[in-house]
Amino acid sequence: MKGKSNGRSQGLILEILKYAVLILGALVMAAPFLWMVSTSLTPDSVIISYRLIPTRVTLANYVKAWNFSRNFDESVSLGTFFLNSLIVSVCITGPALIIDSLAGYVLARRKIPGKDLLFYLALGTMMIPFYVIAIPLYLVVRRLGWLDSYQGMIVPFLASGFGIFMFKQFFQTIPQDLEDAARVDGCSAYRTYVSIMLPLAKPVTATMAIFKAMWSWNLFFWPLLIINNIKLKTLPLALTMFRGLNVTQWGMLCAGMTLATLPIVIVYLSMQNMFQKGIVMGSLKG
Amino acid sequence: MKHTTRAPGGNVQAASILGVVRPKRRTRALLFRVGELLESYSMIAPAYMVFLVFIFIPVAWSFYLSLFDYSILSLKHPEFAGLENFAKMFGDSVFRVSVWNTVRYSLGTVPARLVLGLALALLLDQKNLFGKNFLRTVYFLPVVTSMVAASIVWSLVFNASEAGLANQMLKALGFPPKGWLADSKLAMLSVCIMSVWKELGYVMTIFLAGLQGIPLELYEAAAIDGATGWQKIRFITIPLLRPTTFFILVTEVIGSFQVFTQTYVMTGGGPGYSTTTLINLLYTKGFFEFDMGYASALAVTLFLGLLLLSWAMRRAFRAEEIVY
Repeated sequence: MKGKSNGRSQGLILEILKYAVLILGALVMAAPFLWMVSTSLTPDSVIISYRLIPTRVTLANYVKAWNFSRNFDESVSLGTFFLNSLIVSVCITGPALIIDSLAGYVLARRKIPGKDLLFYLALGTMMIPFYVIAIPLYLVVRRLGWLDSYQGMIVPFLASGFGIFMFKQFFQTIPQDLEDAARVDGCSAYRTYVSIMLPLAKPVTATMAIFKAMWSWNLFFWPLLIINNIKLKTLPLALTMFRGLNVTQWGMLCAGMTLATLPIVIVYLSMQNMFQKGIVMGSLKG
Repeated sequence: MKHTTRAPGGNVQAASILGVVRPKRRTRALLFRVGELLESYSMIAPAYMVFLVFIFIPVAWSFYLSLFDYSILSLKHPEFAGLENFAKMFGDSVFRVSVWNTVRYSLGTVPARLVLGLALALLLDQKNLFGKNFLRTVYFLPVVTSMVAASIVWSLVFNASEAGLANQMLKALGFPPKGWLADSKLAMLSVCIMSVWKELGYVMTIFLAGLQGIPLELYEAAAIDGATGWQKIRFITIPLLRPTTFFILVTEVIGSFQVFTQTYVMTGGGPGYSTTTLINLLYTKGFFEFDMGYASALAVTLFLGLLLLSWAMRRAFRAEEIVY
């Protein structure tokens, strides 16, 4: 009997320990965010005493951060960079979903010569690290005259082996009968794709959309190579301009980072399940 | 049985007779097939055109360029250099340092992410855990934030002054402040800590998905046999998670050899060359010194190295599996 109650109290201790570890871990994970927000609310004049709970609160840093880039170009604010990121993100995600799903549909369903080869080529693209092709890609884009342009940031990413693979896998699970019925009714392949396959593919499309949107929103290395014009800079690229403030203006710097982080955090919190699904699905990439 | 197998042959004959009698129908069928093929190819054309121009040609070009002496600044044409770029690279002490730094980064992040990610997943996978969703959200939050923003904030956390969060915490614990990113001995460690923080939620999520795939009956059977919690983890969870673990290991190792954003933003590769990684070097060589030949040789080496590495990991994994 004694052993049993011992076991129970031991279990209780373990339980408490578990929560302690989890909560401590969560605090460590959240600390940089909390510190960033509290610093962003602290006036830059009280520099040495940044703490988790600011003693004096100000929103002035946010105004300064929003207009920070006007030092370089009067017409450019943080809003410009948001807009650029949005343009790039939307213009990659939308067309890429169409292009990938079209190819995925053909590879899953249509009989064409060379299908296997085409599929392996698509898979092969996933094995090539972007950095390996960055230099020749730069030369290609330069030759096209697309340095410092939106299309330079968008067009190279309009198709992905990963997207094609995901859509192909999904379309293969749809019963053939559905499609045959449409074909008997005289639907063309495009009609079948638009009116039968795409509506069924809504869940994959949604997770892919999240995955791609997040990926393209955070693109950094490629824009860094090809964009010099401040009017075209995307948000991650523009944020590097804030680095210079790390000596004296931490409040303004943190305000800038908070502004940059907030939208994606809000989107994440409102669509958490989709995000996690997208991540798990994205992990199939290997 | 025989009768039925013969039947299609008869049909083919009939069809061919029909075909002779009515050639129009056959050409129509042929035309229909050609039309269908054209339709199919037109549907995949956009994707493969993008691949051709922006992936396949660049890959080939990368190998080609690595054999040439080529700077986009000078007006002269690329000059064939054989393996000179590779010789130059392997003789370059900065290259050797950056290989070492990349390996250090890999060793400093991958094991920590795997162990901590698995531990978190195991802790969070319990059914009646209070605040499970909230905790998951918090752990996952760094994954969705932009790497640039996170790096900039962490460069304040690791600021060498007393105002930095890391030094504030040291002070609270009674230790003297450290230089962190400004100290060439601690800079890589700081980058690693930040990188583990950033990607931990990702690894955790993949492990959690892997845990969902383990049948509950196994645990129930083990419980009947009197297995303790640790034994269940040791003999059921970990062996059955092998595919997940292997997958994470391979992607994390390959990813860690391509680290760039953190080191570029937080330290710029410094102090000295203490955090210069392979991609940092590639960026400097290719886009500051415009030595496209050298940078391409670096890219090709990285590519082949990573292929070799993932092949070796796959083999090691298989070999171990046979032993198991």
